[in-house]
Amino acid sequence: MIFVKTATPEEWKAIASAISTIVDEATFEASVEGISFRGMDPSHVALIDIFWPNSAFQQYECDSLIKFGVRIDEFAKLIKRSEKKDSIEITINQDSMLSIKIENGYKKEYKMRLIESSSSSTPLPKLSFNSKIVLSYSTFDKILSDIQVLSDYITIDTKSDNVHFLGRGDSGDADIALDSKSEGLEELICKEDSLATYSIDYLLKITKAISTVGGSVIAEYSSKMPLRLEFTVAGVGRIHFYLAPRIQD
Amino acid sequence: MDFSFVAETFQNMEQTSSRISLTNHLVSLLKKTPTNIIKKIIYLIQGKLYPAYEGIELGLAEKLTIRSIADSIGISINEVDKVYSKLGDLGDTVAEISTRRYQQTLFTEKITVDRVYNTFEKIAKTSGSGSQTTKLRLVTSLLNDATPIESKYIIKFLLGNLRLGIADYTMMDALSITFTGDKLKRDVIEDRYNICSDLGTIAELLAQRGIEGLDEIKITPLKPIRPMLATRISGPEEILERTNNLVAAEFKLDGERVQIHKDRSKVELYSRSLEKITENYPDIVEAVNSIKIDKFILEAEIVPVNLHNKILPFQELMHRKRKHNIEENLKKYPIKVYLFDILFLSGRDLTSFEYIKRRRMLEKVVAENNIKIINLIQQRTLSKSSQIKRFFSLAIRSGCEGLMFKQMKSRYRAGSREYLWMKLKKEYDKSLGDSFDLTIIGALLGKGRRTGYYGALLLATYDKETNTFHSTCKVGTGFTDKNLEFLYTELKKYIINKTDPRVVTKMKMDIWFKPVIVLEIIASEITLSPIHTAANNLIKENFGLALRFPKFSRIRFDKNAEDSTSSSELLDLYKIYLKKRVPG
Repeated sequence: MIFVKTATPEEWKAIASAISTIVDEATFEASVEGISFRGMDPSHVALIDIFWPNSAFQQYECDSLIKFGVRIDEFAKLIKRSEKKDSIEITINQDSMLSIKIENGYKKEYKMRLIESSSSSTPLPKLSFNSKIVLSYSTFDKILSDIQVLSDYITIDTKSDNVHFLGRGDSGDADIALDSKSEGLEELICKEDSLATYSIDYLLKITKAISTVGGSVIAEYSSKMPLRLEFTVAGVGRIHFYLAPRIQD
Repeated sequence: MDFSFVAETFQNMEQTSSRISLTNHLVSLLKKTPTNIIKKIIYLIQGKLYPAYEGIELGLAEKLTIRSIADSIGISINEVDKVYSKLGDLGDTVAEISTRRYQQTLFTEKITVDRVYNTFEKIAKTSGSGSQTTKLRLVTSLLNDATPIESKYIIKFLLGNLRLGIADYTMMDALSITFTGDKLKRDVIEDRYNICSDLGTIAELLAQRGIEGLDEIKITPLKPIRPMLATRISGPEEILERTNNLVAAEFKLDGERVQIHKDRSKVELYSRSLEKITENYPDIVEAVNSIKIDKFILEAEIVPVNLHNKILPFQELMHRKRKHNIEENLKKYPIKVYLFDILFLSGRDLTSFEYIKRRRMLEKVVAENNIKIINLIQQRTLSKSSQIKRFFSLAIRSGCEGLMFKQMKSRYRAGSREYLWMKLKKEYDKSLGDSFDLTIIGALLGKGRRTGYYGALLLATYDKETNTFHSTCKVGTGFTDKNLEFLYTELKKYIINKTDPRVVTKMKMDIWFKPVIVLEIIASEITLSPIHTAANNLIKENFGLALRFPKFSRIRFDKNAEDSTSSSELLDLYKIYLKKRVPG
């Protein structure tokens, strides 16, 4: 059995909407240490890896390793019926139902049916990163939107002292340049010049999903290799988002 | 073994138009195939997961396939549809789209033959609620790791569109070459194939223990046997001549030939082309189950009857092929079963027994088990021409299409067509003509009233020895509008852009087909022809045999292309016709 309590629903909301950008059905794993999720979209382009430690909860009770599967849209829908200051209790007993208790002034309880959890486990890609860029959430979000107005893809070009975000569409090109003095760029580490292109659609979706809790975004990658975004969300240990590159001719 | 090697071989096979190189491609594939997966490879080449008689179809829905292509490549369903409507084939579509796949994936895992086969098997076995999602996921997972060529053949297979044109005989040639060094052992392989109908098992045994391994194959209930066939003969005189004036004659009913297999409580029915037809005839299954013998294999003809037990035309059996309303159709379209042979009884293979002994055993089985819809075929032992003629006209009056003649001492020779069994059809004494079963290999586009359909179809005989089809006539008459429409849609599935490697013809047609669909044709004259290739050069240099005034009679759904009338049968008939024309 699992019983977990958080003071606000915001983390659950962010996690549920992040996961829903890549899969319809999600299998969570709860252990003594905390709750984790790892899943890939059907085309194996994007992967989300979440670990939410027990210390981040107001109350956390889980005596053994339990996997539980939910239809993530249904779960998100119910969680969203709460407000910022509501406390959230989630319980799973033996009866394959998940209960969500929302409390603020009065009590509200939803019960949703669990689905069969997936038995396979998703491995993590083995990567080493040559470039690391740390941006404030709002800067990252803005860059993506700025590029998206004319391009479906974003090319990140990192050199030791600056980074360019480039877009190219039918109507023209976009170039956004940041260096150590630029506002919003919190850190830039470049072991080796790196250049790679990614689908902007995936990036925007995940970034929007995290918006309510956004702090900083750590983007790490190497030339023509997958990108890893780490969203530092207060209260959640780690949200990693992996995205495979596009190789243009 | 990597699936890429299989996919590349498929690609090469598809591009070849020579039968010899088709066989060579097969041989080089089989030589590289490890023993433990050779069975799977054989079934995959045949577009199946199991022996054909198991009747397990993958037939994934097109919509689901499109969705999974879209998912795996990461484009919209509309974009897939656009390319599909341009190319007309989803296999080609996925190959084209995935070459444009710029988006990389996080993980790729090499696709092995085992992985492909096992995934296909999982898809085939998934059913019930949520099965669509599971199937989608399974297909997508394969496509994610597949190269464009691999995706193409994965999709073609899943849709049941993998048509490599590998006939059983080509496969047996290839097996013989691969495991014995040359083609000489094909006959031994074919002998075994005739009694188990499973090339996968044959290939596995060959790979494990060579040609001796095949000794293990025995006649077994629930494994269909290739049927013994009869040769057409000219008339009573020829029959008596060939049988030393003593022959068994049986009514030849115009129905569906069936093999009835029973192993304890399990009963299966197999058609002439060895497809499972058990589900069409629950009444037969019930009747057979009441026979108090553990194991047997019987052969019979199923005929449709009316409520007064009068035999109806063969076509009425079509009602039994419908998948729905089976219970209702049982009552509305009654049938009767007429047994004519027994091949296996309580653990004993009877095929080496003489005909007359088998007949006695069959009579005993029927006598000891009085079962309503199951009867014994009318049979007599005859020794005079006048007796034959009398029995023949009795057969015709009783609604039969003719008589079968069987040598009293003949063994049951599975899959063979010799003079051990002979047939005389009702056309023989009239000038109405003979019927021929011919395979459609090409077509001319229709004009005038037939615009939008085919105007004429090019038909061919089949020669087993060379595994080739030879054109013998164009047919354009005898079709109803319904026939034309049906053939048009049915043939669409088999259009190819050049003549099939197994087809030999000098004709120029608008459209070519894979040799699959068989038509029954009535024609009363056979002539020498410089343009048709059936029995080419056998009578005269550069001349073949052509049917004159051919008329369409019906579609033979129950026959495979390889069951078509052979060129040598045509030649025999040509000689008979010549004799008839001699005055006196």
